[in-house]
Amino acid sequence: MRFLLRRLGFYAVAGWVALTVNFFLPRLIPGDPATALFARFQGRLSPAALQALRATFGLTPAPLWRQYLTYLAHALRGDFGTSVAYFPSPVLSVIGTALVWTLFLAGSAVVISFALGTLLGVVAAWWRRGWVDGVMPPVLVFLGALPYFWVAMLALYGLGFGLRWFPIGHAYSDDIRPGWTVAFAADVAAHAVLPVGSIVLANLGGWLLSMRNTMIAVLGSEYVNLARAKGLHPARVVLRYAARNALLPNVTSFGMALGFVLGGSLLTEIVFAYPGQGYLLLQAVRNQDYPLMQGIFLVITLAVLGANWLVDIVYLWLDPRIRDTAS
Amino acid sequence: MSRRPPRTTLALAAAFATLAGCAPRRAAPPPDVLVVSQEQQASWVRNFNPLTTATAARWPTLAGIYEPLFVYDSAQGRMVPWLGIAREWRDAGRVLRVTTRAGVRWSDGRPFSAGDVAFTFALLRRFPALDRRGVWSFLDDVRALDDRTVEFHFRRVFVPGADEIAAQQLVPEHVWSAVPDPVTFANEHPVGTGPFTEVRTFQHQVFELGRNPYYWQPGRPKVRALRMPALPGNDAANLALIFDQVDWAGNFVPAIDRVYVRREPAAHGYWFPLTGSTIFLYANTRRAPFDDMRVRKALSLAIDRALLVDVALYGYTRPADATGLSDAYSGWRDSAAVALGDWVRHDPARASALLDSAGCRRDAHGLRRLPDGRPCRYDVLTVSGWSDWVRAAEVIARGMRALGIDARVRTYDFSAWFEHVQEGAFDLTIGWSFEGPTPYTFYHWLMSSETMKPIGTASMGNWHRFASPAADRALAAFERETDPAAQHRLCAEMQRVFVSEAPAIPLYPGPSWAEYNTGRFAGFPSRRDPYADPSPNKFDAGEVLLVLTQLAPRTSPR
Repeated sequence: MRFLLRRLGFYAVAGWVALTVNFFLPRLIPGDPATALFARFQGRLSPAALQALRATFGLTPAPLWRQYLTYLAHALRGDFGTSVAYFPSPVLSVIGTALVWTLFLAGSAVVISFALGTLLGVVAAWWRRGWVDGVMPPVLVFLGALPYFWVAMLALYGLGFGLRWFPIGHAYSDDIRPGWTVAFAADVAAHAVLPVGSIVLANLGGWLLSMRNTMIAVLGSEYVNLARAKGLHPARVVLRYAARNALLPNVTSFGMALGFVLGGSLLTEIVFAYPGQGYLLLQAVRNQDYPLMQGIFLVITLAVLGANWLVDIVYLWLDPRIRDTAS
Repeated sequence: MSRRPPRTTLALAAAFATLAGCAPRRAAPPPDVLVVSQEQQASWVRNFNPLTTATAARWPTLAGIYEPLFVYDSAQGRMVPWLGIAREWRDAGRVLRVTTRAGVRWSDGRPFSAGDVAFTFALLRRFPALDRRGVWSFLDDVRALDDRTVEFHFRRVFVPGADEIAAQQLVPEHVWSAVPDPVTFANEHPVGTGPFTEVRTFQHQVFELGRNPYYWQPGRPKVRALRMPALPGNDAANLALIFDQVDWAGNFVPAIDRVYVRREPAAHGYWFPLTGSTIFLYANTRRAPFDDMRVRKALSLAIDRALLVDVALYGYTRPADATGLSDAYSGWRDSAAVALGDWVRHDPARASALLDSAGCRRDAHGLRRLPDGRPCRYDVLTVSGWSDWVRAAEVIARGMRALGIDARVRTYDFSAWFEHVQEGAFDLTIGWSFEGPTPYTFYHWLMSSETMKPIGTASMGNWHRFASPAADRALAAFERETDPAAQHRLCAEMQRVFVSEAPAIPLYPGPSWAEYNTGRFAGFPSRRDPYADPSPNKFDAGEVLLVLTQLAPRTSPR
């Protein structure tokens, strides 16, 4: 318990640091939100409009430290203000629109690639020099090494544009009403195949390789030999003795990956016109939308910290050594 | 532990496969629903406030839900009476009297009146953040004399102000008088006079607007609804366009003949009239040697504009003439001034001679130096990521280097670039120009002493810091002139001043992007039927209304 509490204290400090960086970083960019909005119009907006824009956003000349204190106070109350790019929607509701799809898209992609990659890693390590071990790692690592943008475009062009097997954009068809119906679920799944598939393909190699390598090291250790010598069933040796221990590094990465899920998958969202946080963040940066940027960064930070906290808990359960030192 | 993932994975994968397998194939939208792609957003935020200056309101708000008094048709160069039917100057040009249209109703059935006009303008006065056109800089008072007459009292005689008034979107008093803060009001259930006012559906990915049941044009609009899919970027929008999922768009499409038209020549069409903002090369006239008009003209002569429009704009435009006027001002262009402007051709020999005469001579290494010995070494500023500008800047820099001027392209992020440009901290930069129904706004921001701020003070326009007494005289006279013939004479005068003094170096008139698919709808403006500007991007002053009320679904699908 003390272990968990100590970790919690650490997370509180990390959270405050993130909040502070959050505040100052966007303000280092030259210009202001009104100017950034002006850019979109390339002269189609009258110069009087820029003045009016500044007035709209209430750009205050208050000293930075006072802005910072107000910001901290508001953040603690969960009030992130009004978005500039999506004026006059509050930041939280803007983030809300994208959050669900990000959770679904990036979340399922991470879970699938972690589960599949780890499993393949176990298989590759157990049947070393088998066909899984011979073919999968090089192929997957090769695919992972290609620029993601390019792979995604290729998938979109080949499977969506050329063969017309999958839709070319959006999370669901424009004609269908969102709801808990089979038709809607089917539609969402069809739209998710290319985006999710492309992310999984790009990440599978890493999961596989790290699992396989740790697994091989573990398989050579004494206690595994002992388990074998005792004549335990191979499946039991692989899963209970070897895989469980070899899983630790992958669980850490999984926690990290899960945390970054909320950052969205910017490239995926752009290529497949998929709604989500990543694109929102890009919009926010383009428009110098400080409130929105702060809101999104905070959500990401909290997610990363939260996922790490979960990993801490899972570690306690997976690794008796930590349990011993903690208690 | 690790026995669980495979099963979950397999189950997930299987569920995906089955679900994806039974999803319906791509369906076309209903035959009378027009699909438009103008804004590029990943998801929609519900905002139909036509007065907020932020670009946050959805596209149909300014020219679909709400309407102005008069619509300027930039393709025909004329004012089309809309909610106003007549306007006249009184009291020696200090009062503008507008007669409003009878029989117009708001989409909730209540009648529209001149009182709504006066109310809207009073709102702009009370909330300066809403005064996007800056009308209260020249207005003194707005009064409704009766239900159909409204009078605008001016602080000074300022005829171009009538065009700003004409373009203002009008809101109903009976709804907006109850809105506590119209600046942050999202107006989710709009009540307007426009052709499309009923929100049929609003989701993050798509929204639809249905017809106004009380629209004042009988039998219009013929389109039953507008549908706006959220497409996050140019690539996604172009893909949807090419796939017949969008009927009308205002994107930049590279190599459009091959990419779009050739896929289905019978239905896919485009028209890019050169009515956009003219793109200029601005030279800082407060810095030597650009204070010398011979140098500015020499720079212009050094540019191979034919190559520039090919390289930068895929040949979608043509080199600008020396007046800088785009085709939106065809009716104003003075042929004598154009003929006088012989400094927009590509003529390195003459450019070289002009530079020599200005005292910028080549040294032993071929590099030109100012009379005081400083080398001619300049950055051409442009915005990173605006690839057309970057390519244009490369062509320009190459032309200058051939003349012995060490010019380099320097790209900045937009905000940083804008800061440099606004404060006059540059030697050479590419930039846009300002538009309005008459060339007044255009030249006012190019060479008026009223718009010239000192170096270091941020200026909205006139970044090159140029003023000319001759231009001031012509502009001031234009502000007071209501007679069209005299206006044209004064505008010709402005053009002659511009052409002889070369305050800035025009590059090319910007195209107005418009792609349309005539497979399901007819009536888009085109080269053959140029009744209005074809681009959905021309919404700010309501021009899109001309198109929306004209489009009609094809009765028999082809």
